[in-house]
This record gives sequence, C-alpha cells and structure tokens, in this order.
Amino acid sequence: MELRPILSAMWRNRTGSVLVAMQIALTLAIVVNCMFMTKERVDFVNRPSGMDIENIVVADSVGFGSDYEHDRTIDEDLRLLRELPGVIAVSPTRSIPMSGSGSANGFAGSRDDDAPRHTANYYFVNEDILDALGVKLESGRAFRDTEVRRADDPDLDRLSPQVIITRALADKLFDGEPAVGRLMYDGLGESSEVVGVIEHMFGAWVSWSDFDQVAMFPRRTGGTQTRYLIRAEPGRRDALVPLVETTLSEANRTRLVRNVRTMEEVVSNSYEGDRAIATTLSVAVVLLLSVTGLGIVGLASFTVRQRTKQIGTRRAIGARKRDIIRYFLLENWLMTTIGIVIGTALTIGINYGLASAFEVEQLDYVFLVIGMFLLWLLGFLAVVAPARRAAKVSPAIATRTV
Amino acid sequence: MLDMQDISRVYRTDLVETHALRGLNLSVDAGEFVAVTGPSGSGKTTFLNIAGLLESATDGRYLLDGVDVNTLNDNQRSRIRNEKIGFIFQSFNLIPDLNIFDNVDVPLRYRGFGGKERRQRIEKALEQVGLAARMKHLPSQLSGGQQQRAAIARALAGNPGFLLADEPTGNLDSLMARQVMDLLEEINANGTTIVMVTHDPELARRAHRNVQLLDGQLASPDLFARPAAADDVDLQPVA
Ligand SMILES: Nc1ncnc2c1ncn2[C@@H]1O[C@H](COP(=O)(O)OP(=O)(O)O)[C@@H](O)[C@H]1O
Ligand SMILES: [Mg+2]
Repeated sequence: MELRPILSAMWRNRTGSVLVAMQIALTLAIVVNCMFMTKERVDFVNRPSGMDIENIVVADSVGFGSDYEHDRTIDEDLRLLRELPGVIAVSPTRSIPMSGSGSANGFAGSRDDDAPRHTANYYFVNEDILDALGVKLESGRAFRDTEVRRADDPDLDRLSPQVIITRALADKLFDGEPAVGRLMYDGLGESSEVVGVIEHMFGAWVSWSDFDQVAMFPRRTGGTQTRYLIRAEPGRRDALVPLVETTLSEANRTRLVRNVRTMEEVVSNSYEGDRAIATTLSVAVVLLLSVTGLGIVGLASFTVRQRTKQIGTRRAIGARKRDIIRYFLLENWLMTTIGIVIGTALTIGINYGLASAFEVEQLDYVFLVIGMFLLWLLGFLAVVAPARRAAKVSPAIATRTV
Repeated sequence: MLDMQDISRVYRTDLVETHALRGLNLSVDAGEFVAVTGPSGSGKTTFLNIAGLLESATDGRYLLDGVDVNTLNDNQRSRIRNEKIGFIFQSFNLIPDLNIFDNVDVPLRYRGFGGKERRQRIEKALEQVGLAARMKHLPSQLSGGQQQRAAIARALAGNPGFLLADEPTGNLDSLMARQVMDLLEEINANGTTIVMVTHDPELARRAHRNVQLLDGQLASPDLFARPAAADDVDLQPVA
C-alpha cells in the first residue's frame, strides 16, 4: 500500500535499520548453518545400528587369585544368566560393540599377496550371538555350540575356522559375490570360512568410516577377563541390571563383577561429543534468535517513541489505529526482508566456506527456507507489541507537543 | 456546523484534577472565520482538540454537522478527521522524513484515493500555497513560513469543510505570519470554515468573530477591556 514512502523514511533513518538488518542477515546465516550441522549430528547419532541396543545389558567379569578358573566360570555364568527372568540370549564377548574400545585386523578375500586388505572390527562370541545382539542373519547360518573354542583349547590363538561377517565387509572382500562358503584370510595366511552374513551391525568406534565392517569368531577370550552381552525381552532390561550384578557376584567369589550397565548407556557415552556439539549448536541458535528478536523489539520501540508526535499527527489527519499498526508491520517487514535477502547470500557463502575447509556437507536448502520463515516470524512477533503501543498514541499528542 | 453545549473537560492525574473547560457553549456557522483568544492555560487548545475530534469532552454535547460525536467510534472519528477537518499546528507537524509532496500525500492515502487523483490534489494544493516548485524538498530544507504553508496544503488537499488552526503563526516572524494569515483569509473566502487559536490581537482582528476564553469558559465581553476590535465580537460572517 505505502511501500515507497515507508522506504524513503527508512532510508533517511537508516542507521538503526541497517544495523538490525545486518544482524538479521548474520543471524540467518549462522542459524541456518547451525541447524544444518545439528541435523547432521543428530542423523549421525541416530544411524541404525542393526542391533537391539535398547534391550541389552552388558557386564564385565575379571578373575583374580589362584582359585580362579576361567572356562568353568564362563560355563557357570552362562547357565545362571540364561535362567534369569526375561533373558533371551547371552554371549560372552571380548568387547562391547559401539563402546569405543575393540580390536581390528586386516582381512583379504583371497590368498594372493596383492589382494586388497580390508580392516574389520572383530569379536569373540558364542553360538547365541545373533540372538544376544538381535542382529539379522541375511544368509548362511549361526555358529554351532561345538564350533565355539573354549579358553583352554590349544588352538585358541589360531584363526577360528568359521566366521560370521557383516554384508558391508562381505561386499568389500568378495566384490558383491555370495560370501557364504568363501574363505577370508588374515595377514598370516590363515583363513576362516564364512558361514553366515548378517545384514548390518556396527563395530567399535562410532566415528570410524568403516564402522560397519565387522567379523565375529566363535571362541572365548583367553586370560581372566570376559564380558557378557545379555539380551532381555522388551521392557525387562532395567529389572535385569541389578539381578545380573548380584547373581554373578554371589555365584563366584574368585572374580569381580564390574560395569553392569545397559548397552544404551555404553552407546550414549560414545556419542557424548556429538550430542554436546548438537546441544551447543541448538543453544546458540536459540540465543541468537532471542538476541535478534530483542534487537528488533528494541529498534521498533525506540522508533515508536521517537515518532510519537508523528504518530499523533498521522492519527490527527485521519489514520486509523490499524493504519498505524500496518505502517510499523510493513516497515519492519521491509527491514527483515532486506536482512533475509542479504543473509541468504551470506548463508550460502558460509556453507561454501565450511564445506571446503572442513568436512561439512553441502547445505540442505530446506534449512534455508526454515531459517527465512523463522526470521520472518521472529520479525513479526517482535514488532507486534511496539506497533500496538504506537496505535495507542493519542491524536491529541499532535497539538500537545512542541 | 459546530455546536457545543455545556462542554467540560477534566484532566485527572493521581494528584490533581484540572478543569480545562467548564461548561463551554459555542457555535460556529458554516463559512465563519472565528479567532479564539485567551491567556495561556485558558483551554484554547483543549477546545480545539475537542472540536477536531482529537480528544473527547468529559461532559456536554457536541454536534458536528448535526452529528453527535459521542456516538462515533474511533474509526469513524478518524474518518471524519480525515475527510471533513483540516488541521494546522503551531509547530507545523510535517513528517521530517518525507518530502513535501509525500507529506501532503499522507491524509490522501488514508482516504484511499488512487494515485492519479492524489497527484492532482497534491499539485493543486501546493500551487495554492505557492510551493509547487518545492515539492521534492524535505521540511528541513524550507523556512518556517514555507513549512507552515506546506502544512496548510496538507490540510487543504482533502477539501475539508472545516479548518482548525492552533497558533498557526506562533512559531513565525511577523512577515511570515502575515503571509500565512493572507492564505487563511483566502481559504476562508473560498468557503472553508476556519477556527483559529491565536495570541496575536492583530491577527485576531482580521477574523469575522473573536471569542475569548478565560478559565475554560467564554469571557463575557462586558467584563473585559477589549482591544480595538472589540466591536467585531458578535458580528456575523460577511459572506
Ligand atoms: N493532557 C493534559 N493533562 C493534564 N492537564 C492538561 C492536559 N492538557 C492540558 N491540560 C491543562 O488544561 C488547561 C488548559 O490547557 P490548554 O487547553 O492547553 O490551554 P491553552 O491552549 O489555552 O494554553 C491547562 O491548565 C493545562 O495545564
Ligand atoms: Mg494552547
């Protein structure tokens, strides 16, 4: 309706508007990039793990003293744990997937010396591992109990004859050909036959790019330490945690039971840094939006106060209250829009800079649209109160002020 | 055209009540040029504000063109101010960020006129006050007299029947004041009713009728020594 005179009035008082428009531009650029990076972190943390993490309890057992018998302890522990209420399956393991600690080795799909080697996290598990993790077998079979090497087996430290691997590893080793029945070689020329391929699971280190290359061997861990993966029926995990602790402790006093906790906690610890980044970025977004909102409120309030006489005069010569409100909404909308236009260029520039300097993805422009909408809304909400105050200025002001 | 009966206006604050008008009775006929005088604080501005619907009386009846203004809502009052009344203020009240053309345009936009009609009206009004050549100037680039003439153009552009002026020459030197007064006389001669508040007895004398306020009431002509123009007090318009 009256854009041209509003623009020319703004232009003659541009200092405040230019500053706030720049603030809006910067806010848009930072908010959009922060939202985008937050989303990337959240997606990263929420990658499907392939495992039934929510229903798994883990525990460490460390033997001590001369009376400690490793295999017998494990036999007994497995029997006791399987009898606990709500337990689906139990497997010993050397380390907990996604815990940030584990082992890896290079494997090749053929005996040739120049065959490419692929690194995989590996785990020592028993015949129940598929159920204990809740992973999905894609082809082949699970281990048989007779295949699981006990700790006192003289061949324990040789490569197990059988292995179950993830599809991601299988595709690397065998170029996408069926893997079941094929041999997988370690660096010493020993081999294991792939008996099963699981669809997907993660290994030890959440930020490792080959996180999904995993191999599992049917054997126990030597020495005096072992861990257990105990999968519960849905809803029964939390009751199981204290029960596992007391059951194992009381059964055998020649070892310590430590770190009985949910696998959810373990995984959550591993993502602590990523969650901290996401939280910090979100807080920054909220703070920045608040500060910018306050900036708009401040400028609008200042403008209204400064123009009290002008508002009264406009009212005196025929402006209705809604004309006054519309004036300030329009003026503010113009300023916000100028800020948004500049901010859009800035946003793309910053993302381009981040993308080339760090490993940040190309911006998803949905976030730009969300950011624009947020700032428009913010600008509108911030000016409502000052505009209403302006509408309350009495037309009598026109003759009462000098 | 303007008929006030028993108008009073009380300003209340926590501490004091000020009776700015106390039972004022006054009517102004169409085509009149009335000068309102009186000492400072006697209620002249209050009277003008009520007459121009800038504020409401605390008590009494005010008919404007036969309409009881008490029955009007805020939007209707805005509309009447916009269409029927032109205001001239002591300190001009031009919008400093708009040039003269845009200033005159302000009430016309509120009126909802189209661009072509607005342009014609603005140019005509600025010609009438002798500022056609200055329409791209900002108020700050004009002298006080020119600013007041621009404000008069703004008041005239909507063809109001009724012009209200509060000390229109109060901020001007005497030469400029006389020019503005010439202009008001010319406007009145063209049929616009004018009520003007002034301190200046010389200017007041040029009106058709003088009304003196004292303590929020009409001062009786018998009780006060009048300037030379005292005879004019009850004259009717010369129309
Ligand atoms: N908004 C207000 N609040 C309180 N008192 C007011 C207000 N406006 C005017 N008055 C008082 O009302 C009286 C009349 O004021 P006014 O009409 O401005 O007189 P004049 O224009 O004749 O100088 C004065 O005493 C003035 O102080
Ligand atoms: Mg006054």
